[in-house]
Amino acid sequence: MEDVWSLVLRVGAAWVALVFTLIVLPSALGVSLGISEAYLRVLVKTLEWATIRIEKGVKKPQPQIKTSATNGIIERDETPMEKEIVHPHRVDFEFSDIFYFCRKGFEAIVEDEVTQRFSSEELFSWNLLTRTNVNFHYISLRLTVVWVIGVIVRYCFLLPLRITLAAIGITSMIVGTTIVGQLPNSSMKDYLSEVVHLTCSRILVRALSGTIHYHNKENKPQKGGICVANHTSPIDAIILTNDGCYAMVGQVHGGLMGIIQRATVKACPHVWFERSEIKDRHLVTKRLREHVADKNKLPILIFPEGTCINNTSVMMFKKGSFEIGGTIYPVAIKYDPQFGDAFWNSSKYNIVSYLLRIMTSWAIVCNVWYMPPMVRQEGEDAVQFANRVRSAIARQGGLTELPWDGGLKRAKVKDTFKEEQQKNFSKMLVRNGSVGNLSAGTESD
Amino acid sequence: MGSAHSVPAEMRELADRTGFTSEQIEHLHRRFKQLSQDQLTIRKENFDNIPDLEFNPIRGKIVHAFFDKRNLRQESDGLADEINFEDFLTIMSYFRPIEMNMDEEQLDRFRKEKLKFLFHMYDSDHDGKITLQEYRNVVEELLSGNPHLEKESARSIADGAMMEAASICVGQMGPDQVYEGITFDDFLKMWQGIDIETKMHVRFLNVDTIAHCY
Repeated sequence: MEDVWSLVLRVGAAWVALVFTLIVLPSALGVSLGISEAYLRVLVKTLEWATIRIEKGVKKPQPQIKTSATNGIIERDETPMEKEIVHPHRVDFEFSDIFYFCRKGFEAIVEDEVTQRFSSEELFSWNLLTRTNVNFHYISLRLTVVWVIGVIVRYCFLLPLRITLAAIGITSMIVGTTIVGQLPNSSMKDYLSEVVHLTCSRILVRALSGTIHYHNKENKPQKGGICVANHTSPIDAIILTNDGCYAMVGQVHGGLMGIIQRATVKACPHVWFERSEIKDRHLVTKRLREHVADKNKLPILIFPEGTCINNTSVMMFKKGSFEIGGTIYPVAIKYDPQFGDAFWNSSKYNIVSYLLRIMTSWAIVCNVWYMPPMVRQEGEDAVQFANRVRSAIARQGGLTELPWDGGLKRAKVKDTFKEEQQKNFSKMLVRNGSVGNLSAGTESD
Repeated sequence: MGSAHSVPAEMRELADRTGFTSEQIEHLHRRFKQLSQDQLTIRKENFDNIPDLEFNPIRGKIVHAFFDKRNLRQESDGLADEINFEDFLTIMSYFRPIEMNMDEEQLDRFRKEKLKFLFHMYDSDHDGKITLQEYRNVVEELLSGNPHLEKESARSIADGAMMEAASICVGQMGPDQVYEGITFDDFLKMWQGIDIETKMHVRFLNVDTIAHCY
């Protein structure tokens, strides 16, 4: 009995020591040992092999079809209303005018641009995770064997490793920031807080097997600025803090999150709002403005979409963040869906099951582009400015732009949008009508 | 993983009846589940969750068309409270495009079905005739968003169009004749020679679930 115990303890100690030297220490020093890169290379080779085997296993010949970001079942007809509804017989209105709206309505029912964004992107080829393609055909024994090995590797090796790392990361974040928080305000304190935040972020990123490519680092957000980015998952914040220090903005939570928030705010001036304060927009804007005005404070990190979108498009930016003033540093984040789906579908999964899914995926690979700073121009209001920044982010990240509000995940469309369409149609008719009325007058005589 | 993918018998029967491929049916089934929120049937309220549809002025009529028993090929009349996936596919099949391998008779039947669908959309009281009042309703719904357009203008537009229809169907009417309404046969007459197939279809793509090379 004792032998077994001592064996377990020895294995445990060896495990922790290994994790420490190979992962935690390099994170603290900001050095990479190249293990992640090697892992990813092996992974890519395996997935390529799997794709080729699947191709071979298919009986009928497949035409080369390009993968599209949105997989749809219908080809939408983009003819504008004016072209489609022509009245060759000089009448004001024809029975067939209704066809246009009928068809548009059907297209919307079969496939709706907005709801599509709130479900995970489907991959055209399989990445050996059943969750991405449930309808998959059985292809070959070898493939199944590889898949089984994949499952074992992911659940029995990677998962415990990642959970250990995450635990280490979070504990050191809480402990580290509490210690630093005791120091009096000084440049030493800022420096130490930066070190602690960066180290813990790096550990957490490794806990997800994250490989992040940062582009255009010369545009990194400066102090006194506001950093805006598109939102796909709660991990976005960690991805960005891996490379720099930001002041987070958010609501105070309870539980573990609340403990982290309380600890970190002592070391670094994050902006946490109470639930009641969030309702008061002026208060929020005032506090953020004060923060931005102080040029010594770290840049704020905001996600203006307000909710998680599935990383194929950028939805409407809420104008509140753009009313604060100051310089905006846009950042585009694009995840590579082949290695793991980072999107958090909050209506389907809660945070714990989401984290488990992330930790049992192969890896999180993403690209982060820092973009040159933007300021609000003369005569531009907050909404126009928000749209300009949004277009820039969408262009850079290769995402499509949708004018819809992310809040549509849960709420309904405003009536004003509906009336727009009706106004357009009736304007058209009235234009024809002023000409048509004359002919109708002569006809009815 | 590795379950053999055998096409169930009901799927095959559905495919034959509605003309969709089995992959398209699978895709539509996923959409159905999304709309019904994983229930077996859809009710009118489920269509409220589609933002793109809110945009549409005749949204009410389109949703109504899904529950119209005449479109569902049921013997009885009136409105159904809820529809299942089979009914959903039946309505979708009205919007399939013409296929190359259709013969004269099939084409004619196809066309008639599409026109019947449209007829039912106008004929809201299910009496088999489109009366002036029903026609006015449709025009008003389409124009209702414009505050500058008075009800009178909408009415005159509808009246003008109705006169046009009457002249095609009945020819010149005497001063005492009252035009009761457009029957389905008159409706067909109006559309003779005009190509409606291109206007009334949604282009369904062929979706495959098997992997492609990058």
